[in-house]
Amino acid sequence: MFFRLLMESFRRQRRRKLLAGIAILLGTTAVTAMLALATTIGDRIHKELAVYGANIIVYPKSDQLEVKVGGVDIKPASTGSYLKESDLEKLKGIFWANNITGVSPELRVSDQARQINTDSPSFTVSVIGLWFDHDFGSLRTGVAQIHPWWKLNGKWPPLVADADSWQVAVGSSLAKKLDLKIGDKFLLRRGANLEGGGFTAAYVTGIVSTGDQTDTDVLVPLPVAQAIANTPDAVSRVEISARTKPEDAFARQDPDKMSPAKHDIWYCSPYANSIAYQICEAIPGAQAEQVRRVEQSEGNVLKRISGLMWLISAAALLAAAFAVSAAMATAILERRGEIGLMRSLGASKGSIALLFYSETGILAIFAGTLGYLAGSGLAAWLGARIFRGDGGAPESILIPVLLPVVVALALAVAIGGSTQSISAALRMNPSTILREDA
Amino acid sequence: MATLSLPGILRRSLIHRRARSLSALIALTVSAGIATALLTLYTDLDQKLHKEFRSFGANIVITASANVPLPTDALTRVQQVAGNDAIAAEFAYAVATTDTGTSVVVTGTDFAQVRRLDSWWQLDAWPDPNQTDAALLGQRAANFVGNEHSVTLTYAGKPITLKGAGRLRTGGDEDSRIYMPLPTFTAWIGIAPSVIELQVPGGAKRVETTIAQLKSALPEVQVQPVRQLVEGESRIVDRTHALMYGAVLLIALTVAVSVLATLSASVLERRRDFALMKALGGSQMLLMGMFLLEALVLAIAGVAAGFVVGSAAAFAISQLNFHTATLPHLSVLPLVLLVNLAIATLAALLPLRVLRTLQPAALLKGE
Repeated sequence: MFFRLLMESFRRQRRRKLLAGIAILLGTTAVTAMLALATTIGDRIHKELAVYGANIIVYPKSDQLEVKVGGVDIKPASTGSYLKESDLEKLKGIFWANNITGVSPELRVSDQARQINTDSPSFTVSVIGLWFDHDFGSLRTGVAQIHPWWKLNGKWPPLVADADSWQVAVGSSLAKKLDLKIGDKFLLRRGANLEGGGFTAAYVTGIVSTGDQTDTDVLVPLPVAQAIANTPDAVSRVEISARTKPEDAFARQDPDKMSPAKHDIWYCSPYANSIAYQICEAIPGAQAEQVRRVEQSEGNVLKRISGLMWLISAAALLAAAFAVSAAMATAILERRGEIGLMRSLGASKGSIALLFYSETGILAIFAGTLGYLAGSGLAAWLGARIFRGDGGAPESILIPVLLPVVVALALAVAIGGSTQSISAALRMNPSTILREDA
Repeated sequence: MATLSLPGILRRSLIHRRARSLSALIALTVSAGIATALLTLYTDLDQKLHKEFRSFGANIVITASANVPLPTDALTRVQQVAGNDAIAAEFAYAVATTDTGTSVVVTGTDFAQVRRLDSWWQLDAWPDPNQTDAALLGQRAANFVGNEHSVTLTYAGKPITLKGAGRLRTGGDEDSRIYMPLPTFTAWIGIAPSVIELQVPGGAKRVETTIAQLKSALPEVQVQPVRQLVEGESRIVDRTHALMYGAVLLIALTVAVSVLATLSASVLERRRDFALMKALGGSQMLLMGMFLLEALVLAIAGVAAGFVVGSAAAFAISQLNFHTATLPHLSVLPLVLLVNLAIATLAALLPLRVLRTLQPAALLKGE
């Protein structure tokens, strides 16, 4: 009997059920979409913030002091100490290896360059050996990825160990100065530190505009710079971009003065400091530092934007709760006649309440699930539209954890919203209701 | 017998069915409140986000051309062009020798300005701005200084002793420099500032206009944007803006539909009033007009209450998240009013089709 009542109620009162169902559907859609966006906003904004470049920098510990103003080395180190390029593989083995999203080693060499077909004397240029599109485990990374604001005309030089000529990219100011176009060549001295090193032809594959000092430099594949400096496997600096957790008071403590338990927690949190600490451990002779300008400010911006999204989600939750409970209350209010009839036919208050709660429950679960799917779709669509051009297909945001959360919320709000109306209707004298409705 | 005037009917209708009027009023207040809160936040969003990006420091760098120092009044002129809300700091560079015989870049600057500009600098304590012989040691530079408390530097045979105020950690070039107050630097070395770092609040457009103005005001120097900052900032602000826009629409739609459902249900429930008035000779138009008027009065009351509640909510959210206040914006009021009136009108008119087909006699008999 109970189930027949339940079924008939759904079959016969489609309009009312539809209204309540739509309210729940819309509410859960809004909440799911907002929560899905709020939980993924961190990663998305982090990707956007990657435009600010590396947040961790690694250099040799025993390096001499850099004497550098505005990006220009005033006194280039004659015999510097270097990191080993082969040691970079060890980055894949650190605890937070998966959080490393970009690695860009560089080797700066001061070299002599000369224009071809002219008698003008050779002059000093700064040559930077770099990774351009390097295969690093599951990552394709390099200088272009760490500096997304660099604008390249042409191509990055490919990595060919050709002994006779080199392929290079040049900074825009240097290209202007030497009147170089893509495909042109000029001469670079081979073995700057060696007496009598001859000049080698360098073909320009690309012209890069960086907006900083690099505009006057020659950018070459790392092995070429190592050959020029005659320092195989050497790297003078590594820029690393990593997904980190914004720094808090705990992150700022000195890890060497922590208790072992605290040290473990610190070590296993993706703070820029702890990742830098792990890099120091992994690479011999390395000193890793967080780039505070990037790291601290990113944390700030990230915190504000995700905080805003969570607060808006709370507003969405409030709005949805209000919408659903209002719709449920109206739906019950309209059916007071039924309640009066059932009471006068001898149904107990408990069984009537159970019937109405079951109806509400079924509606909430059904519409809540639909709303979850619709909301996930909406979040994916919104996310893809707003953050398009990040590369990669629009990722679907189907967060399974949200399903029970959203359905439980819908259930709680629907039942909560109808409770007041149900109990009010049950309190009324059945005959009054019936007469009033007649 | 008291005459029945329209305001009289309206008043009684609102007062007699107090519970129902109240629930309709609450519904309209909530919709107005949420609309006000979201719109107020939305209006202020860009400004607030741009403010957060100030922590990235300078977005314009002004550099003296080679061998020509900056004009002596450069800082004042830059500040004039950029406006009072911009932060500018000048830097002078020279290479000196430490007591251990290492070459080090020494920088003269104004600590008070740098502190505002480069908030990411981590140090134990900022030196007292009145102390003329304070020195900040970059953490790498500090390793090449023998005595960190009494730092002796030599430039072209001229020694100077500064009081070390502590180590500076940034992870950038600053780590290998020693910073000192500009007047002391100039008195010691005699080199004028060569770089002004400028932070202009606002987005890419403001930066571009400022650069153009600076170029015409100071033609002899190089003015360059810090490209990654300017580009990244507009991208992120635009995206957050779009996200917020989507959220506002979504929430507004949810609330609007639910309010609509509640209100039109309550109009439907009053079929009997409708039938009675129709039986007493009220025309269809007059009766619909009365329902509409009632809904509109409730809508306006809802906007009044909702604006207050919503502005308070926006204030709280922005205090909580951005730590700055958002004051009520009267400019959002027309839109909120429009939305609420539209909802109320729709809610009163939607049941029209149902009501029109009603036969008063049948309804009053209870069929």
